[in-house]
Amino acid sequence: MDKHQHEGTPHGPGAPMPCRALFERLSEYVDGELPEELCHHIREHLDGCGPCVAFAHTLKKTADLCRRLPAASMPPEVAADFQRFLTACLSQRKAP
Amino acid sequence: MPAPPPDDQALIAASQRGDAAALDALARTHQARVYGFAMRMCRNAEDAKDILQDTFLGMVRSIRDFRAESAFSTWLFRIASNACLKKRRRGVHDPTPAQELSLDALMPRPDADGRPPEIPDWSEDAERALLRGELGGKLEAAIDLLPREYRIVLLLRDVEGLSAEETAEALDLSVAAVKSRLHRARVFVRRELAGYFQDTGRPPAARG
Repeated sequence: MDKHQHEGTPHGPGAPMPCRALFERLSEYVDGELPEELCHHIREHLDGCGPCVAFAHTLKKTADLCRRLPAASMPPEVAADFQRFLTACLSQRKAP
Repeated sequence: MPAPPPDDQALIAASQRGDAAALDALARTHQARVYGFAMRMCRNAEDAKDILQDTFLGMVRSIRDFRAESAFSTWLFRIASNACLKKRRRGVHDPTPAQELSLDALMPRPDADGRPPEIPDWSEDAERALLRGELGGKLEAAIDLLPREYRIVLLLRDVEGLSAEETAEALDLSVAAVKSRLHRARVFVRRELAGYFQDTGRPPAARG
């Protein structure tokens, strides 16, 4: 995230996208949700901006780590309580 | 060999006809996922139990309104999300009150001398720390710090794996709002994890 690019100032020919504009769309970029033209501008920016590359990698890794969080376990006593609740709830239910 | 259990579609159809055994089986199929989501939303076992019960009470009451154009899990998360948000509104203590996460505040800034921010790429360190079982707690703690409007979006999108469209449907938000909240939530959690790697230099087990 270059000093000049940071506030949104273009920093040279061929790389018109400032860090701030890229930063705003980075989740959509790593999720593959952006149109190809915009992806092209982002790749162009990333080619010359080490801090943005590191940010993009670690943002993608953050989403990836969330996806790999283990399923939270349900303690057996909670499952037993819930089963009692469900049985009571279904037995009181009116027939359709 | 016993017959395979009926899939959701058959259970839903039977539940909609009023079959109590099918409703029971449907609830058992999804109970752990809903409980896990509720625990991550409220971090309180009693609240999570209440949310689990409220969700399935809602399911039993309105199963006949379920239409196959939505995924069943999206429909169920919509009920569970409402139960979570209602629960937090009633709660006496909320450690993460509603607040806006500003992208400008979250974006790394140049230092006082105008030098570009140093942004280490710790993605490989994170992978190793995860494999050693060191990162899960840090990640859960970082998610806990999110304001709930952002936490619920990150949980549905990145932890539960709903699409942006399904998350929007579950939370009654626009897809654009889901994407905006998800991005802020990820940037926030990334910053917390970056702090962990910065504080430790390297993950604890890799040091020394």
